[in-house]
Amino acid sequence: MDIVVENLVQVFGEAPKQVLALDRVSHRFPSQKFTCILGPSGCGKSTLAQIIGGIEPFTSGTVTVGSDAHQKSRIALGSHSVMVWQHLNLFPWRSVIDNVAFGLEMQGVDKAERNERAKALIASVGLRGFEQHRPPQLSGGMRQRVALARALIMERPVMLMDEPFAALDAQTKIVMQEELVRIYERSKRTILFVTHAIDEAILLGDEVVVMTARPGRIKEVIKVDLPRPRSQDMVNTPEFGRLYNRALHLIREEVLNAMKQQDAAVG
Amino acid sequence: MASRSKSKTLLYLAAPTLVIAAVLALWEFAVRYKGIQPIFLPAPSSILKYLWVMIADGSLPYHLSVTFLRIMAGFLVAGITGIVVGILMGMSPLAARIVDPWIAALYPLPKISLIPLLIIWLGTGETYKIVISAVTAFFPVAISTFSAIRQVDGGLIKAAKDLGASARQIQLKVVIPAALPGITSGLQLGMGVTIIMVVAAEMIGGSSDSGMGFLLIHAGQVMETEKVFAGLIALAVFGAVITNVQKWLDRMVAPWVEKEH
Repeated sequence: MDIVVENLVQVFGEAPKQVLALDRVSHRFPSQKFTCILGPSGCGKSTLAQIIGGIEPFTSGTVTVGSDAHQKSRIALGSHSVMVWQHLNLFPWRSVIDNVAFGLEMQGVDKAERNERAKALIASVGLRGFEQHRPPQLSGGMRQRVALARALIMERPVMLMDEPFAALDAQTKIVMQEELVRIYERSKRTILFVTHAIDEAILLGDEVVVMTARPGRIKEVIKVDLPRPRSQDMVNTPEFGRLYNRALHLIREEVLNAMKQQDAAVG
Repeated sequence: MASRSKSKTLLYLAAPTLVIAAVLALWEFAVRYKGIQPIFLPAPSSILKYLWVMIADGSLPYHLSVTFLRIMAGFLVAGITGIVVGILMGMSPLAARIVDPWIAALYPLPKISLIPLLIIWLGTGETYKIVISAVTAFFPVAISTFSAIRQVDGGLIKAAKDLGASARQIQLKVVIPAALPGITSGLQLGMGVTIIMVVAAEMIGGSSDSGMGFLLIHAGQVMETEKVFAGLIALAVFGAVITNVQKWLDRMVAPWVEKEH
């Protein structure tokens, strides 16, 4: 499902102290592709994902998900997408299976059916046997899998992921990235993956959208033509190195810009 | 930790018990051999004797159970009204605006000062005791419920909405369960003040002839100091039991809270 963003503007705050978070962002996120949105912190990349997911209203522009065009903020976006959150936002009082089945429960799917589907998904993310545990009893990586399963059960064509692996330790992160690659290569959803980690963006994405420092604009789109299936081993190939350097160069410019802006604001 | 736990020797474990035993022994000794008047400070042994007598003749169980029922009645009224009002305030800004000035005005007032007014209105019967304790306990319950609901993590609400929950489903399936730990801690505060107010009301209501407050004030007036001490011990144990049962119930209701690291 294509996602088309045209002249998207997001302004935060009231008149005298307004902050331009997104400045005329236009991009076509291709259907069934894995697009990473890369940018320095505060560039509005999470905001962009939340707008596409219908979670945040926006100031002006058009967002089209599939064939439904959404102008301004009023129409409910988000019926084709589901978000995996940076802070996971699992429900701590619910067991793993009840967390995963939450979306189905809200739709009124009966208990036997939703549990069966949730159980299958829990097994597919490697958590068989943990159905009755509660999130606080699980490790960070396991909680991450629950969050993934809770999103996957919605079977929505678009999956938005907002720095989902940022809080994980390096080893767990590698495992989860491979897990996600596996899921993506199997199910071919359209994925928008927000990150500030360059290696993550290149390893996962078909395309890396590099954003500028505030106000967020699209600085450059890097096509990643590394073959699939991808694995962690590719990090050492010359192609990966070339892409990494390109992205690093762009990001460094933007980080320096952001620092200049801050200095100007302070001075 | 390993080297530390080694220092947790027998002495470390037994120290509190040893100190209690030493204090009791010193107390007993001082009363018996140093001429302290039992009317000021009876010996632990005679307090224990009185405690046993009061249990055996049924007076202590009677007064304790009367007090217990009053506490439960007051607590039930305060708990239900407090939770309902707190939830309404938490979910409807209009309700919060309407109720807020009342709470702001009445909460700082020491509720015990309402006793004379309530006696004028209600007399000194059961209604007065339940009302005074319920009014007192209402505030911590309502305020805790309100703030628990207001402080529900916005991320959980956004996530539920993204997963297709309606506004009603969000209230029932996310906001209320997420607020439960805050509500139960409000109920704990409420229980604490209910116990205080029921016993106080039993002491003040002149015509009251039952309950631990009555037992204490009556024994005090006739200088039966042993009975006063026995009553205090019974109340302390009673309070501890109620608090622990409540903590246990809270863990049953919200078992996920403790397991969070």
